[in-house]
Amino acid sequence: MKTRAGWALIRGLWLSWLQYRSFFFLLAFGWMIPPLIYLLVWSTAAGEGTIGGLSRGAFVAYYLVLILVNQVTYSQTNWTVGDLIRYGQMNRVLLRPLPPVYDALASEFAGKVVFLAFDLPVVALLALILRPELEWTWANGLAFLPALVLAWGLRFLWGYWLALLAFWATRADALLALQDALVFLLAGQVAPVALLPGFLQTLAKILPFRYMVAFPVEILTGQLDLAGMQTGFAFQAGWLSVAAGLYLLLWRAGLRRYTAVGG
Amino acid sequence: MRTFRLIGQFMRASFQEEAASRTNFFVNLLHSILNLGTGVLGVVVLFGQIDEVQGWNLASTLALLGVYLIVSALRGLFIGPGLDALAGMDGKIWSGTFDFTILRPLNTQFLVSVHKWRLFAILDLGLGLGVLGAAVARLGVSLSAGQVVAFLLALFAGVLTLYAILLAFAALVFWSPGVLFTWVFDAFFQMARYPVGMYPGWLRLVLTWVIPVGIITTVPAQALSGSLTPGMLFGGLGLAALLVVGASLLFRRGLRRYASASS
Amino acid sequence: MPEPQIQIHNLTKTYRVPVRPEGLRASLGSLFRPAYNDVEAVVDVSFDVAAGARVGLIGPNGAGKTTTLKVLSGLLHPTSGQVRVAGFLPWERQPEYLRRISMVMGNKSQMLWDIPPLDSFRVLGEVYGVPPARFRRTLDELVALLDMEELLTKPVRNLSLGERMKCELTASLLYRPQVLFLDEPTLGLDVSMQLRLRRFLKEYNQHSGVTVLLTSHYMADVLALCPRVVLIHRGRVLYDGELNELARQLAPFKQLRLSLQVEKCNGAMPIPDGVEVIEQDRASLTLRVPRAEAPALTARLLQTLPVADLTIEDPPIEAVIDQIYSGAGA
Repeated sequence: MKTRAGWALIRGLWLSWLQYRSFFFLLAFGWMIPPLIYLLVWSTAAGEGTIGGLSRGAFVAYYLVLILVNQVTYSQTNWTVGDLIRYGQMNRVLLRPLPPVYDALASEFAGKVVFLAFDLPVVALLALILRPELEWTWANGLAFLPALVLAWGLRFLWGYWLALLAFWATRADALLALQDALVFLLAGQVAPVALLPGFLQTLAKILPFRYMVAFPVEILTGQLDLAGMQTGFAFQAGWLSVAAGLYLLLWRAGLRRYTAVGG
Repeated sequence: MRTFRLIGQFMRASFQEEAASRTNFFVNLLHSILNLGTGVLGVVVLFGQIDEVQGWNLASTLALLGVYLIVSALRGLFIGPGLDALAGMDGKIWSGTFDFTILRPLNTQFLVSVHKWRLFAILDLGLGLGVLGAAVARLGVSLSAGQVVAFLLALFAGVLTLYAILLAFAALVFWSPGVLFTWVFDAFFQMARYPVGMYPGWLRLVLTWVIPVGIITTVPAQALSGSLTPGMLFGGLGLAALLVVGASLLFRRGLRRYASASS
Repeated sequence: MPEPQIQIHNLTKTYRVPVRPEGLRASLGSLFRPAYNDVEAVVDVSFDVAAGARVGLIGPNGAGKTTTLKVLSGLLHPTSGQVRVAGFLPWERQPEYLRRISMVMGNKSQMLWDIPPLDSFRVLGEVYGVPPARFRRTLDELVALLDMEELLTKPVRNLSLGERMKCELTASLLYRPQVLFLDEPTLGLDVSMQLRLRRFLKEYNQHSGVTVLLTSHYMADVLALCPRVVLIHRGRVLYDGELNELARQLAPFKQLRLSLQVEKCNGAMPIPDGVEVIEQDRASLTLRVPRAEAPALTARLLQTLPVADLTIEDPPIEAVIDQIYSGAGA
């Protein structure tokens, strides 16, 4: 029953989004540009040599994978949740016989499909032009998948608990902008984490943001040894449980507050 | 004289609107600081690994970033808010309130371009000037009067170019009112954070001649570092004039096409 | 004889409208092959309006009233036909023309949402180049007429719909236009606010001499304000003239109202042929009779029925209009 209801939600979203198709392609295009800029800048900087052990082709491979991972893990839903609370439209959602997180998940899933339909051909085209160099190993490929799923879960839940702060503060969306900036700096977009200067690099390895995007990319492009992967997974799982705990806590408290105040 | 009084009134009203929601002030402040921080750190991280890329070093690239921030701030000050208000689902054209803009006894293009101001952008302007000043100090050269004039001319050409492109993109809204064409531009404009020389050859051509966001920042920055040829400066000024004329024609065609949302 | 202020001759306007299909597959298809329909909004419309007149444009939804107003105000370019307002071609939108006209739309606002009306008015005064002294005088006058002194300093978003419409009217009259176009100005307002606005428009028209062209769904607006109406239906002019005359021309009936002497009623009520009973109870009758036969039928009724009192009247205008909307051209 739940899956049928979920499918109906997803289909409904697709139908209404088709009306705004250009809007979504534009969004996907806009998200792709910042990593693309750094792809071009770093590969030009590498030239014929290497920077921090990475050649021109390695930078291209790293950033092309990052564009896809960034798209898959980015949760546009988190902005919507905050808006729902702010504009008092939570009532409509609460009246449905499904928990609101299903709405978010449905739109996450529907969104990924639409965005990837745009991103995959573009990335394939870029790969043809820019000639990435990637050493594929089965071990890395197998480790990449769980890292990607965990990265998505972490980024989704982290953003969701931030968005839930809208129950208490009207402009909690500012925190989402802060999160985006930190992801940009510390999650391998501005540069692969290994190239960050000492202090930033330590910060990146401790804070959750690297584990939302950069970590799976580093695995797939072979930048991590076994020990690096193990520590990474440990941090990723740890931060994911923190995010899940905060989500549950804030959701319950927020709902109590919402129903008490009356929206 | 009347034009100045009119613009004064628009600024006054816009400022009152801005001041109506006070929490936005801190959110805006946060956004400005994040924008500045990510921009500067991006450049610093790159030149932490390498001393020079395609003739650009830390100081000259920072100078270019300063120009980028200044130009963005000018856009945010008055061109952007007015033109952005046209497009999108809640935009003036979609909702039909553009009718009133057309009915005013003033040039519609002028009215659309200057009717809305965002005085907060003055802070961004200050931050941009700060980055530019620091970078010039780092460059360690004393600027000749000729260089300063060339820089100001190049900056003027850059702002005109930016205005023309934004106007042209805004005019496209008359053909498809729901589409946020300026987002496409925003994505390309991001590329102006780095010198066009850092991009591969084909993209360099596109960014110089097709969607000339590259020269908006690269040419003024070159004027400061002394690597600008007179041909490039006058070419830039000529191109800017041509673009403004072309964009105005397109806007006028769009106006003719405009038919209000309801019949 | 002076030239009419508004001249419309054979105005036609055709829209090209994209067709949006239903369902996922069909919408995908329309991405690549958009389909269009031509819709004739206004066909061959002609009428003149003298300076200082109050004219109502009436007709059902989608009749072409708003399209006509938009062409007159210069928002739309006509497909064919000649239009002149105050000697100008509207769609050239010359500044001198735009300073002479004003448009109020019941469903769109020209006020700045977050700031008090007074500040919006100042901006508009500057936009229309009204000298400060005259601006002050006009504003005071409008504020007094509309009784809105206390609204001037509240943010617009906190005003009620009716209060906002007062602001819209003030905004559109600040520069003393010669022609005022009103598109559904009473939309969504409560009855007392409707009355208030009608009274204002009538007074303002009489003392300033502004020409008023108004569209409205509410017949009461038109009844109260417009001695002359132009009835548009499916883009064509069906009637142009006095409101009273409209009923006579378009409704070939009279309404007879009879009060009966109850004690003399013996149950049988012989009704002549050609007479339709609209309402009937023990002591009264309402009948509809063909206009031409009204005198003869009335005489017969007076003979056959115990009539205490009798009135002959035109059917109510709403009923006539309703009949036209639902019947004409179908």
